[in-house]
Amino acid sequence: MTQLSRLLRATTLIGWAAVADAQDDGQWTRPGKDLAATRYSGLTGITAANVARLRPVWTFSTGVLGGHEGQPLVVNHTMYVVTPYPNVLYAFDLAKEDYPLKWKYRPAVDPASTGIACCDAVNRGAVYADGKIVYNLLDGHTVAVDATSGKELGKVRVADLKRGETITMAPLVIGNRVIVGPSGGEFGIHGRVDALDLATGRIVWTGRNTGPDSSMLARTGTFKPFYARNAGPDQGQRSWPGDTWKRGGAPVWGWLSYDATLDLLYYGTGNPGPYNADQRVGDNKWTSSVLARRPRDGALVWAYQFTPHDNWDYDANAENILVDLAVGGAMRRVLVHFDKNGFAYTLDRATGEMLVAEPYVTVNWARRVDRATGRPVVDSTKLTGASRGRIERICPSLEGGKSPASPAAYSPKTRLFYLSTVNLCMNWQSTEAAYIPGTPYVGATIPYTPGPGGYLGAFIAWDAATGRKAWEIREKFPLWSGSLATAGDVVFYGTLDGWFKAADARTGKPLWKFKVGSGVVGAPITYTGADGRQYVAVYAGIGGDWALLSGDLVSNDPTDVRPPADFAPDLARYTSQGGMVWVFAR
Amino acid sequence: MGLRTLGLLLVGSVSCQPREEGPPPARGAISYDQHIAAGERTPTGDTLANPSSGSAEAKAMGEKLFAAMNCEGCHGTGATGFAAPSLVDGRWRYGGADAALFHSVFYGRPRGMPAYGGLMDQDAIWQVITYLTSQPIPAVVPTQAWR
Repeated sequence: MTQLSRLLRATTLIGWAAVADAQDDGQWTRPGKDLAATRYSGLTGITAANVARLRPVWTFSTGVLGGHEGQPLVVNHTMYVVTPYPNVLYAFDLAKEDYPLKWKYRPAVDPASTGIACCDAVNRGAVYADGKIVYNLLDGHTVAVDATSGKELGKVRVADLKRGETITMAPLVIGNRVIVGPSGGEFGIHGRVDALDLATGRIVWTGRNTGPDSSMLARTGTFKPFYARNAGPDQGQRSWPGDTWKRGGAPVWGWLSYDATLDLLYYGTGNPGPYNADQRVGDNKWTSSVLARRPRDGALVWAYQFTPHDNWDYDANAENILVDLAVGGAMRRVLVHFDKNGFAYTLDRATGEMLVAEPYVTVNWARRVDRATGRPVVDSTKLTGASRGRIERICPSLEGGKSPASPAAYSPKTRLFYLSTVNLCMNWQSTEAAYIPGTPYVGATIPYTPGPGGYLGAFIAWDAATGRKAWEIREKFPLWSGSLATAGDVVFYGTLDGWFKAADARTGKPLWKFKVGSGVVGAPITYTGADGRQYVAVYAGIGGDWALLSGDLVSNDPTDVRPPADFAPDLARYTSQGGMVWVFAR
Repeated sequence: MGLRTLGLLLVGSVSCQPREEGPPPARGAISYDQHIAAGERTPTGDTLANPSSGSAEAKAMGEKLFAAMNCEGCHGTGATGFAAPSLVDGRWRYGGADAALFHSVFYGRPRGMPAYGGLMDQDAIWQVITYLTSQPIPAVVPTQAWR
């Protein structure tokens, strides 16, 4: 039976009326819902008028601690949940009462990977395609599992722990290509994306993020960067001293998106390594950048660097959301990206031209982004490096104005983007870093301080056509959850102190909240149940950077006792680690 | 006392002393009787001990090595914990005796601690251990309270 007919049968049983938007299939088959990564659902069962009646209807403990980033998938009335290391895959039968497990898949994952992952042993989820659930293991493997039986169909090694590589990102399937990339910007990796054949697991092409044109798949006639300064051969090599590009980072731990009309894959690259900028004079292309490639052969079509010679660990791994917007009076096919560096960018996604770049949080490392050159106008007093000593009060912190771990959502109804933001600044002291394979390649000490205004985070609505904030909800702690936008004009997000919240998409009025226990660093989803009702699901399970920064959230290890984070000393008063799947309905 | 010095002492006790005088009571020498009559006890050899314990020079060197060998990247500045556990809270996942600490650094540990045995010589490993074990342990009260 096809997916559609099964869904139609299920919805027919209880009447069509509950699913008002026939264009939405009520499933969640990709990390960002659609290839454009909008995290928008057309379901309208839950509205601003009735969301106050939302209540939990089902929970499941994953049995795993650690940061539960990412989101479940819902396909054919089955919910798929990937845990942090050891990367268990659960398949719940949503067509049966109590959602019993159909199966669980427990791969062998090298425990050494937990020490190579920079920032907690997280996983950002799976993707469904062609009857397979495809996801990555922390120790550098991509696996394909039969979505019906749970049987392992294939396991391919795509990263090398010995070189400091792990994988935390969620793959995307474009046609018969599975796109994956390694983490390890703190371990001196040589960043890249690999395209695997969905049927065989064979690596079809590898596109490096730094290095000569040949390894970057930047070919004459195909690679057309918008700005003149980016033309010329081997930009990814010449913008580095010596061979430092070989260990210069540019990991791929964020989200992927794809435009079928332009046939372009978009992904962001992470920071250059080491953090000590003195050791890598130059722009360090293409770190902290967005790259556009052709999925079939990997050819690089354009690239844009958000933070040239990144001095502040402002990875550009954030999602690139593809929408059509009227910018300056003309409809444009744009890509919207909320960079860690504090600017929200609206780019022409066919060419890589920067159309709008405005700060969405407090920014002081740059005054603005120049429209003519697409380059940030940097405040030289905020430049870092071992030779510069301690630089005080750089905003935003390296947690980002928004973390790439917490993807934004877009509603075509309101034409607004919704995102979790972090209001922190940092002091920066660089030191010389030595490259030792498999150990951190960083060279910096970076304490945080609260940003201005007396709050540490805010959930905001953003107009990417004009670069203006529409509304905001201030929060006591930094926000690190993904966002969900729905056609019911309700938006959802979670907080680090363990609240799951709903707000009015148009006004930002808080409408509902529920305490889910552990803090939320995952991304909510919504789907149509077998009974035709609309459900909302989210993970609880604080972690990611917060497992590092707020070490007092850990209660299961009597041999690791740490003081609280000085910038948020109260966090452990409200939450601790956990791992739960929550499902809500009204 | 390092492994190398210990070995020299053993060699010395066997080959250089007149047989009729018996072996001198050198530290590290293995007693035959204790081995035979182990009973329920573990046979007694010598324990691995930090030869630079208490040395201010070793502590200073160890602090530099802790940064230079990228230990800070995981264990945090001042070893107060980051991606990997705190090493200055007086608590040890794999044991806090000199031998256990040496093992942790030399051979690594399964949850991600790299084996530094091939990267640092033994004296350097002991210097790092000297630095860590000489840090003041905060008043570890197993209670965290808020008002």
